[in-house]
Amino acid sequence: MTRLVLIDDHALVRAGVRAELETAFTIVGEAGDVPEAIDVIVREKPDVVVCDVHLPSGTAADVIAGAVHRGVTTVFLALSVSDAAEDVIAVIRAGARGYITKATDGAGLIDAVTRVADGDAVFSPRLAGFVLDAFSTDLSSPEADPELDQLTAREQEVMRLLARGYAYKEIARRLTISIKTVESHASSVLRKLQLSNRHELTRWAADRRIL
Amino acid sequence: MGREPACCDTEYVTQLTSSAASRWQIPRIDRNERVLGGVAAAIAIEVGVQPLVIRTAFVILALAGGWGLVVYALAWAVTAVAAPNRISPYRPQPKGATSTHRHVAVGSITLGLLILFARFSSDVFNNIVFPLGFVLTGALIAWSRGQNDEGLSVVARVVAGVTVAVGGLIAFAALQFSLVDAIVALIFGLAIVAGIAIVAAPSVIRLGRDLDTERQDRVRQDERARISAHLHDSVLQTLSLIQRHADDPARTTQIARQQERELRGWLYGPGPSASDRVRLQSGLEAVATRVEQSHDIVIEVIAVGDSVTFERPLLTPLLDAAGEAMTNAAKHAGVPRIDVYAEHRDAVVEVFIRDTGVGFEPDDIDADRRGVTESIIARMRRAGGEAIIHASVDAGTEVELRLPIPEGATQP
Repeated sequence: MTRLVLIDDHALVRAGVRAELETAFTIVGEAGDVPEAIDVIVREKPDVVVCDVHLPSGTAADVIAGAVHRGVTTVFLALSVSDAAEDVIAVIRAGARGYITKATDGAGLIDAVTRVADGDAVFSPRLAGFVLDAFSTDLSSPEADPELDQLTAREQEVMRLLARGYAYKEIARRLTISIKTVESHASSVLRKLQLSNRHELTRWAADRRIL
Repeated sequence: MGREPACCDTEYVTQLTSSAASRWQIPRIDRNERVLGGVAAAIAIEVGVQPLVIRTAFVILALAGGWGLVVYALAWAVTAVAAPNRISPYRPQPKGATSTHRHVAVGSITLGLLILFARFSSDVFNNIVFPLGFVLTGALIAWSRGQNDEGLSVVARVVAGVTVAVGGLIAFAALQFSLVDAIVALIFGLAIVAGIAIVAAPSVIRLGRDLDTERQDRVRQDERARISAHLHDSVLQTLSLIQRHADDPARTTQIARQQERELRGWLYGPGPSASDRVRLQSGLEAVATRVEQSHDIVIEVIAVGDSVTFERPLLTPLLDAAGEAMTNAAKHAGVPRIDVYAEHRDAVVEVFIRDTGVGFEPDDIDADRRGVTESIIARMRRAGGEAIIHASVDAGTEVELRLPIPEGATQP
């Protein structure tokens, strides 16, 4: 059974998430701030860490960096209410496999954890929107790597449908491709988001007065 | 006896003001009426003569061993110290019976001071008071604050002040003494100023820093007050509402959603902007909030390419049609959540309103629903756009709105 660690500074939220996930997973630890979270992750070596974006002493990006620094590789799923796009992108770039909002219902939450545990990417509509925005500007800089700095037409299509609230299954049916193909498009977009050094990712945030 | 209270009050106030504003008051410096520091003009207004008269008196006194400058500096200090403590209104009244009286008075006071100061004048005094006078004058010109302190004019004023002080001093001294004496006097004067500066500097710097800290504190307190006022008006009210509706999860969710959206807009959204311009996201959020308020539903609004503002009339048909579609979904779909996705690119705004609810057979809709559908489609068509409705039984509904944006209708 998949072993989980929950990280959120609000005990009430942890209790709520725990209640929804307990039926499907084993929850092996909880934490409320960055150092505590890193300790729990290092001690328990869970399969998946469900982590709030904003913590009292840092962000989920700090937790991921801290865990990696201490030699633990695990899968992170960012769970948050509604944050600045910049913060969410930072968490994804630090290595999280997905981002969903707390408005997601129990089934959606379980589905998301299962998906990241299997190595897939999870995009909430909001994250898909952020991605489309960040990759939307025309690329003119000469050092741009088209492999990493641009989304393919198919990837854009998948992201757009995700942002419109479609599930992977529905996207597959609509584009008449297999669910596996949808998943691989999503993973590819996640990889680009993490590895791309396109300056648009930061410029875009600045344009929207988020920085 | 038998007086009206109002009458008493009025009389009391009159008495108070008349006794407070006595015949003699400390002059008030008028920034518009000044040549150097405005002291001469201020005294002239208080006494009731032309500023030129007082200025002449100061110049005569200044020639008498520099004492005029000392008197001037003292008078300036007195008016400056008195200014913040002034309570009564400043209403200068001409002194003396006639204008001739006033001029005679000024003349004799000047003459008296002249004779007095002449007794205390000596070479030593000439050597100290004159250099100091010039240096102080220069410093005062340099550091006096204008109404609008721009960077360039501050520099210009400092340069002017220093030039006046040093140049004037050397020129004056060279006329009277040998150049060596002038330089000695200059060094003497500078040494005194430097001594005063060394003694006074720590407390002046501390004073400046205290003022700065205090200003920062005040800014911080203002900001905190603004935030707490906002939180009180919004979040605390919402929390108390939620407590009251704790037994009604649907209502609680709806209140919390509305608050979340509002707070999010406040934290990350663009500042208060002109009401005739609207952003895609905030426009749709406003519509979504309205629908959420009247129906038990959660609406997630995602906007891409939302970096410009639109003229409100341009977007209104689109927002209204989107609102209709959201209301439809809220009423008929039977699901707790609607996804709204908007995208602005290539001079087109597209909005998708999607639910995963019961859906319907497009050919088989009842009259009521057709009416609403027509209003969406007709509305978009009138605005030069289009509306497409994708629906099938058990597969949910998606309304697609598309509006071309004419060139020049957006602003960053």
